Amino acid sequence: MNLTDLFRRWRALTHKNEMDQELDEEMQFHLQRDIERNVKSGMSLEEARYAALKSFDRLEQSKEECRSARGVGLIENVVRDVTYSLRVLLKSYAFTIVVILTLALGIGANTAIFSFANGILLRPLPYPQSDRLAVLDETAPKQGIESLSVSYPNFLDWRDQNTVFEGVATHYGTSRFAMTLGGQPTEIRGSRVSYGLFEVLRVSPLLGRTFTINEDRPEEDGVVILGYDLWQRNFGGDSNIIGKTVDVSRRQRTVIGVMPRGFRFPEVSELWVPLAFTTKIYTRNDHGLDAIARLKDGVTLTQAQTEMNTIARRIEEQNPVTNEGLGVKVISLHENLSGNYRDALLILLGVVGCVLLVACVNVANLMLARATARQKEFALRAALGAGRWQIMRQLLIESMLLALIGGTLGFVLSIWALRLLLTAIPIDLPFWMNFSIDLRVLGFSLAITLLTGFIFGALPALQTSRVDLNDNLKEGGRGAGGVRSRARSLLVVTEIAMSLVLLVGAGLMVQSFLRLQRVNIGLNPKNVLTATLVLPRAKYVKDEQRTEFFKQLMERVRSLPGVEAASATGTLPLNGSTWGRSLTVEGYPVLSGGQAPSVQHTVVTPGYFRTMGISLLAGRDFNDSDAKDSPDVTIIDERLARQYWPNESPIGKRVRFGPPEDNEPWHTIVGVVSAIRHQRVQEDTDASVYMPHQKIPVTGLSLVARTSSNPQDFIGAVRREVVQLDPDLPVSEVATMEEVVAEAIWQPRLYAMLFAVFAGGALLLALIGIYGVMAFLVQTRTHEIGIRMALGASARDVFKLIVGRGMKLTAVGVVIGVGGAIALTRLMHSLLFNTSATDPFIFILISAVLSVAAFFACYLPARRAARVDPLIALRYE
Amino acid sequence: MNKQQGDLFKQGTLELLILRLLRSGSLNGWDIMQRIELLSAEVLTVTPGALYPALHRLEARGLISAVWRPSDNNRKAKFYGLTTNGRKQLETQRKQWEQFSDAIALVLRDA
Repeated sequence: MNLTDLFRRWRALTHKNEMDQELDEEMQFHLQRDIERNVKSGMSLEEARYAALKSFDRLEQSKEECRSARGVGLIENVVRDVTYSLRVLLKSYAFTIVVILTLALGIGANTAIFSFANGILLRPLPYPQSDRLAVLDETAPKQGIESLSVSYPNFLDWRDQNTVFEGVATHYGTSRFAMTLGGQPTEIRGSRVSYGLFEVLRVSPLLGRTFTINEDRPEEDGVVILGYDLWQRNFGGDSNIIGKTVDVSRRQRTVIGVMPRGFRFPEVSELWVPLAFTTKIYTRNDHGLDAIARLKDGVTLTQAQTEMNTIARRIEEQNPVTNEGLGVKVISLHENLSGNYRDALLILLGVVGCVLLVACVNVANLMLARATARQKEFALRAALGAGRWQIMRQLLIESMLLALIGGTLGFVLSIWALRLLLTAIPIDLPFWMNFSIDLRVLGFSLAITLLTGFIFGALPALQTSRVDLNDNLKEGGRGAGGVRSRARSLLVVTEIAMSLVLLVGAGLMVQSFLRLQRVNIGLNPKNVLTATLVLPRAKYVKDEQRTEFFKQLMERVRSLPGVEAASATGTLPLNGSTWGRSLTVEGYPVLSGGQAPSVQHTVVTPGYFRTMGISLLAGRDFNDSDAKDSPDVTIIDERLARQYWPNESPIGKRVRFGPPEDNEPWHTIVGVVSAIRHQRVQEDTDASVYMPHQKIPVTGLSLVARTSSNPQDFIGAVRREVVQLDPDLPVSEVATMEEVVAEAIWQPRLYAMLFAVFAGGALLLALIGIYGVMAFLVQTRTHEIGIRMALGASARDVFKLIVGRGMKLTAVGVVIGVGGAIALTRLMHSLLFNTSATDPFIFILISAVLSVAAFFACYLPARRAARVDPLIALRYE
Repeated sequence: MNKQQGDLFKQGTLELLILRLLRSGSLNGWDIMQRIELLSAEVLTVTPGALYPALHRLEARGLISAVWRPSDNNRKAKFYGLTTNGRKQLETQRKQWEQFSDAIALVLRDA
């Protein structure tokens, strides 16, 4: 196609009227010449004109042919078809609204879930070349520990010995820092990070500089870097902030930098201080750090892994006691962050995809039903010369229009749905999750919209365009009914089968979640208020100051009216805080390095077990006399007791914590309590041991208070007590224990909820589908039913005929669905708790529920059929 | 118009005749129609209904081009002329036609 050609076509499109006028003129000229000739040959003007017009027998048709020769026929026709389609759709608005809503919900749900998955699985992390970032974890394969946090000396060896990374840095999780800002004690989440962390991430500060290697040492670490939001919020974006001194947890630190807007690391941290660790204090046995590295250009993860294996073996040889059996694992940062969510998100995408398919099937069904009603229209068009392709095109354009309108509405819905979805997530979203709409989401939405239009449009278009002129014009639609109703039956079977699969999936998820919720976590979370307090080490320097503060606070809280018991713990169960330590039991072989068993080490104040509803099975609770200088004592849980002293009382036995070579003092067991789920509701890997806070006076404790009524009513009172003791101390993470437990299982809850909503939607669609087909069947077979009744069939027989037909379709759908569900639900295995992916109870229950629902969907049309009056039915038509 | 003759007048044939007629100069639609009848000794007749779509198709394919100018009787008419492409097309089609008619003649003679 050359330029003039293009121009001509363009002109044909834009100057249609002008060109039509030219065509008229051309024809007019021809007529005139004919008339002149005829007159010359002796005809009267009248005769001449008549003869000329007669020779132009197909004037309009040839004009049309001339127009189509312009080569813009397709576009012009499409424009015409679109306007025609819009008219048709507007005329049958009830149908149009149902279809558009169905599609909008289907496409909306898909777009929302896709945006969700996109924000977690697909979007690159907010750092330059983030695909080159990797996380280095330690592993202890012999103990089945896949991921262990890093010890400081190991990190230093990795950093100094590797040749595959551009840089390696480390940080110490997320900590809470207290800052007094505007007279209010505020808790800021921040991190201790090693020298070089920002360089590994390739993020430069907005103001000032990052930490130097010298500042990563104790005594020289009096500096701090602020996050953008913190700087704006609390320092009014002061551009002269660099060099100023601020109070961070009662320690004066100089601000040396401000990070750019939007930068957070890790998770939600917005304040950074130097790690300043020393290998004397943080030995190879103290695993607590997270390491992050940037791969050198051209180095793959596998190459890095190979070299790290070599380095780990070398460290193991040099430090057999501490590092025996320890390895290193190199994983991409993105995978490390998003891995937890991947399975669930992929399955959810599959689920919404199925819902959309069911919606498509339903719409296809509606289209077929409508096509039947429109058979005369198509037959007429065919008789007037429309080809099969033209009728198909018309139908496909109608489908696409419906899909596009539905898709647009769905896209808008998805924005709202995603917002709703995010409110169901009770945790603070980590820095790297970003759910805003990007090109990928738009593209996905458009793609599924077009695909949807094609899927539900193709079958009806193929079916309908196969018009038999004679049949249709004569009989008004019953001719092709047989084929079409077979197609519709097939669609109904598909719908039932697919919704069965979804319902079984939802049933399993809900069953699993209910079981998870009923798990006995070993404590009574009802009416317990929790709040976290972190004492600034700079202010509470001495151990006695810290124990004294908490002792006083407990007394104050206990004396509040309505508070039945109060205590505190260093690690609150199920809120993610853990402290694993290795255990040595007197009389058992000493295991070193990565081989010693690990226990959950919990520091508590007296009264903890009573407050939390944990039963004391033997011995005694801690009391105020378990002080700094008194004998070392511990309380263990029943798991540990059963494991080491199955046939005798553990009271009086001795255990030791920490690496054996550290020779920590022996602790005498003074009590045994019931086991609780500390790390996860699903299961705990470690048994729990408890230590008195007076012996290990950590700075941060979570207050727990059992109240006689709604614990939320006590928040104000507890805060007031804290302020009276220390007006600068921030109180954070105020929540009821029930909320803490609910948060611990938010993922299974969210997935079960989404599954149930989607499967419910699919069920509803399937029921509408089967109802539609049955109602249509009754309508088209009224005549036949009339004959049957005239010949002696009872209303009951007719009812049975219709219901029987519907239930037959349902049965086939259920059988196929059960097969599909058995094949597909095993993919959900990793999401299920204590529930088999082929749980027969769920399969039977869901099949029954679906069959009963289908029966009711058939019931209405069947009753209508049974009420047919044979006289009227036969006179009909 | 004789229906039998009309059926023989397949699209391609008519287009070939139009191209041939335009080789010697530009003509308007009416002229072309007259000439086909004249040159074929009134064996072949063309209806406007066949002629004009054929002309517009050729124009769309860039084989002929059209201008509006006054005709003999001073009324404005649309005159068609051959383009370079049209000339080439005429040559190829004429060769094809000759081969085809030779082949038909051969079969008819020998059979």
